[in-house]
Amino acid sequence: MSLYDKIMALYPSLTQQDFLTVITLQNDSDGKGDYIAKWEHPTLAKPTQEQLDAVQ
Amino acid sequence: MAGVLFVFGNATTSIPLSNLDANFNTGLTIGNTTVGLGNTVTTLGNVILNNVTINSGLLSTATIPTATGTVMVSGNMPAFSAYQSSTQTVANSTFTKVSLQTKEFDTNNNFDSTTNYRFTPTVSGYYQVSGQCNPGSNTGLIIVTVYKNGSRFKDLNLPNVGATGGGTGGSALIYFNGTTDYVELYVYQTTGLSTTTTAATNATYFQAVMVRAA
Repeated sequence: MSLYDKIMALYPSLTQQDFLTVITLQNDSDGKGDYIAKWEHPTLAKPTQEQLDAVQ
Repeated sequence: MAGVLFVFGNATTSIPLSNLDANFNTGLTIGNTTVGLGNTVTTLGNVILNNVTINSGLLSTATIPTATGTVMVSGNMPAFSAYQSSTQTVANSTFTKVSLQTKEFDTNNNFDSTTNYRFTPTVSGYYQVSGQCNPGSNTGLIIVTVYKNGSRFKDLNLPNVGATGGGTGGSALIYFNGTTDYVELYVYQTTGLSTTTTAATNATYFQAVMVRAA
């Protein structure tokens, strides 16, 4: 499951526009995988690593 | 030491031999104004110079007015072109750096095609940066964007819905300080699934060329 899928599982209300404005998921092609480069959502808190790991 | 009288067209001038370090082995046309050659102020009017070689001393440097002029020669104007030769996966809704493993040319060795896939020109100035990527998506948005110094800087296209799929790209004019500034190509797609890029010289590439000095 991708990072995007995990975040959407936690916050189904997020929209495509959110990921182009207040949230940025990024992969720098350095072998470290996807990560949250920016989280500036006005109401939803940035998920913790524990929350992400718990999503199946 | 007495000067030697030269006659250029309708005018005359005297050039001390001690100051004369110019060679007039080929045709030289000098206008009708007074001309002084040597180490003092030189004024040339309506001059036509053909096949001129600028060579001042052992360093081969020339002084050009810097206030309004820009000297551009191929030796100090970096240009590169690189393309993707191995496909990569692009996760949904994730800005993903495009890996570009193969150089077509890199005149100043400023593009890293092995580790960071970034262009770091060592000559300051304004560069036309262009790129394209086919992320392999058939639906959703496709954005190809240039990151400068690690941050999204110039989208190369208006986000478009790829009704029939295919890549997208564009170009932007970007200033580089010649030391620390660098750019990378990123791609973004919203098919809802991970996609695989098309790796080919015509499909996924990144280029830049200096267009003027700083």
